[in-house]
Amino acid sequence: MSNKRTFNMLAVTLGMTLSVLPAISHAADKQLTVWAWDPNFNISIMEKAKEIYAKDHPDVKIKVEDFAKPDLEQKMHTVLASGMTDSLPDIVLIEDYNAQKFLTSYPDAFSPMDGVVDYKEFSPYKTQLMTVNGHTYGMPFDSGVTGLYYRRDIIAAAGIKPEELNNITWDRFIELGKQVKAKTGKAMLSDDPSDPNMVRILMQSAGTWYFKPDGSLNIKDNAALKEALRLQKAMVDAGITTPSVGWSGRVSAANKGDVATVTNGVWFIPSIKAAADQAGKWGVAPTPRLNIAGGSNYSNSGGSSWYVLSASPNSKQAIDFLNSTFSKDVGFYQRILTENGAVGTFLKARTGAAYQTPDSFFGGQKIYSDFATWLAKVPEVSYGQYTYEADAVIAALLPSLYQGTPIDDVVTQIDQQLASQIQP
Amino acid sequence: MHKNNRNGFDRFYDVNGWAFVSLALGLIVLFMLYPIASSLWLSLHSGKGLVVKFVGFGNIIRLFHDPVFHTALWNTFIFLIIQVPIMIFLALITATCLNSPDLKWRGFFRTAIFLPCVTSLVAYSILFKSMFAYDGIVNSFFHMVGIIDQPIPWLSDPFWSRVAIIAAITWRWTGYNMIFYLAAMQNIDKSIYEAAKLEGVTPRQCFFNITIPLLKPVILFTSVVSTIGTLQLFDEPMNITAGGPANSTLTLSMYIYNLSFKFVPNFGYAATVSYVIVIFAALLALVQFKFAKERS
Repeated sequence: MSNKRTFNMLAVTLGMTLSVLPAISHAADKQLTVWAWDPNFNISIMEKAKEIYAKDHPDVKIKVEDFAKPDLEQKMHTVLASGMTDSLPDIVLIEDYNAQKFLTSYPDAFSPMDGVVDYKEFSPYKTQLMTVNGHTYGMPFDSGVTGLYYRRDIIAAAGIKPEELNNITWDRFIELGKQVKAKTGKAMLSDDPSDPNMVRILMQSAGTWYFKPDGSLNIKDNAALKEALRLQKAMVDAGITTPSVGWSGRVSAANKGDVATVTNGVWFIPSIKAAADQAGKWGVAPTPRLNIAGGSNYSNSGGSSWYVLSASPNSKQAIDFLNSTFSKDVGFYQRILTENGAVGTFLKARTGAAYQTPDSFFGGQKIYSDFATWLAKVPEVSYGQYTYEADAVIAALLPSLYQGTPIDDVVTQIDQQLASQIQP
Repeated sequence: MHKNNRNGFDRFYDVNGWAFVSLALGLIVLFMLYPIASSLWLSLHSGKGLVVKFVGFGNIIRLFHDPVFHTALWNTFIFLIIQVPIMIFLALITATCLNSPDLKWRGFFRTAIFLPCVTSLVAYSILFKSMFAYDGIVNSFFHMVGIIDQPIPWLSDPFWSRVAIIAAITWRWTGYNMIFYLAAMQNIDKSIYEAAKLEGVTPRQCFFNITIPLLKPVILFTSVVSTIGTLQLFDEPMNITAGGPANSTLTLSMYIYNLSFKFVPNFGYAATVSYVIVIFAALLALVQFKFAKERS
C-alpha cells in the first residue's frame, strides 16, 4: 500500500517535471512576450495593437501577460538584478515616474530606439524622460493629462454653474467646496494622506518637481511645493474632504457618489464610467491652478511607455512592432481613444475625428478634444529617478502637516529626509 | 590485523555516511550557506541596481543616519513589545480555559481559536483592511453598541493603524501559541493540582505558581518564535496599511522591500537592513534564554 503510494507520487512528480520542460525551451523563434498591468487599459490596448500587426506579420506571435503593477515592477527588479535574462519579456510597460530609475539602474538592459523611431512625432516631455546619455529608449505611450472631473448634479444642487469651474484657482475651489458641503452635505474631494498624488499634480501645474533638471533636490526653494502643501492642509481644514485609503478608496468615493469632484489623469475616465448609473452626470473642467507665478490650469499625473529588453533575441522585431503601431497608425489611436479612453502622446493622433466625438456619459461634452487641448499646454518637468522616494517622504509628513506643524518646518524635514534617502 | 580491519570498517562506514548526507549537505551549502555568504558580501556594496561599488562599512554608517530606518526599527519594536506579551498572555488564558475539564464543546472551541492560523496571511490581511475601513464593520459595530459617536480612522491615523495591525496579528497567532500551551498543560501531572487544592490554594495561585512555572520551556519557545516572527513582520502592514500613515506601521521587512522594489533598487543597503533583523533576532533570543535560566 505504502509502496504503491510512493510509486504514484514519484510518477506524478516525474510527470509534472516533464510537462514543465517544453515550456522552458523556446517554442517559436518569433514569439514576443509583453508584460503590462490594467486589463481594461494597457492590456486591452496592446491586444488591439497585436491584431493590427498580425495582419502583415502572420509569423510573429505576440503574447500579452497581465500583472498587478507592483508585482510587475518587483519581477522586473528581481530578474534584472539576477541576470537571468531568459525569464524577461521582450516588451515591458514602465510608468514614466520610474523610467529613469530602470534605465540608469540597469544599464544596457533596454534597447535604445533612436534611429528607428521618429521621436519628433511625440510630445517632447515624453521623449525627454526616456533619454539617458543621449540615447532614447522606449516607445512613448499614454498621457496622464489631468482634469477636474465634477458631478453636474451635485454642483447644480449647490447652486454652482459648470462655467464657474473653468480655469479657477485652488482657493476658489475651496470656497466652492464649502458651498457644496453646506448645501448638499457632500465632500468636495477625497483625501488620502498616504498618497501625495495631489501634491504632484499641483507642483507640475506650476512647472516644478521634487528635483531640478540636473537631478539635484528642489525642495527648500520650491514655491509650488509649499503652496501645494498649504492648499492640501487648507482643504482638510475647510472640512471639504472625506478620507479615503488607497486606489480602491479613491475610486469608490467617486462611484458611490461621496464626492463632488475628482482631480486626476485622463486615464481615470474608465474608473468613473464604472458607475454606469451616473451616466450623464459627470463633466470635466481644466485643473484648478496655483495662485503663484508660473501657475497654470494644466497638469499631468502618471502615464507610461513601452520598453524593449535588449536581452530579447527578437528585440528588432519587438521594436518594429511598436514602431509600426504606436508611432505610425493614427487609426489605432482613434480606436483606443473611443474604446479605452487612452489619450496618446503621438501628436498626429489628435487630428483624428474621434477626438471630436461628444461623450454622453459626460453630458455630451467633447471631453477628448478638451483633454487634447490641455495636454499641449502641460508644463514640462523632469521627473528624475527618485520620485517614489520623495512621495514616501511627503506621505510620511502629511499627517504632521495636518496636525498643525508649520509649512516651513515640514519643508525643511522633507529636504533633510529626502537628502538622506537618495544617497547612492 | 584486527585493528586494521576495524579501521577499514570505520573508513567504509564514514565514507558511506558522508555519501548519504552529502546530497543534503550539498543542498544546504547551495541554498543556505551560499546565499548567506553572498548577502553578507552584497551588504558591503551600495549603488543603483546593477551599478554598484564596494563601500565596506558604508551601509552600516548609513543606518545610523537614516531616519526612515530608525522609524521602521522603532515601529518593529513597538509591535514586538506590545503585541508579543499580549498574545502570549491571551494564549495562556485561552489554553487554561480550554484545559478545564468542566468545559463543554471543547473540541469546537479549540478548533475555532486555532483556525485563524491556517488562513493565508494576505487573505486575512485584506479582510481586516475592509473590516477596519472608515465605513467598515468594526466602526459600525462600535457605533451600534454605543462605544463611539464618530467613526475611528483606523487606517488613516498613526495611532489607530498600529492598534489595527496589533489586533490583526494577535487574532492570527494567538491560537497557534495556544496549541503549544494546551499540549504542554496536558502533560502536567494532575496530582500536583490535586495536592494544591487540598492545601487550599486558589485557582488563581495555581495558575501563577504551578501552571506558568511548569510551562516555562514552552513559554520561552513561543516567545522566541513570536519575537522572530514579529521582527520579520511584513504581510500585514504591507496589505492593511501599506506602512502608512506617516510611516507609523512601516516595519524593517517592509523597508527592505521598499529599498529593493519601490525605490531606486539598492540591494546592498537592503541586505544590510536584513542583517539588522538577523542580529536582533539572535540577541533577543539570547536575552530570553538568559532570563529563563536565571529565574530557574
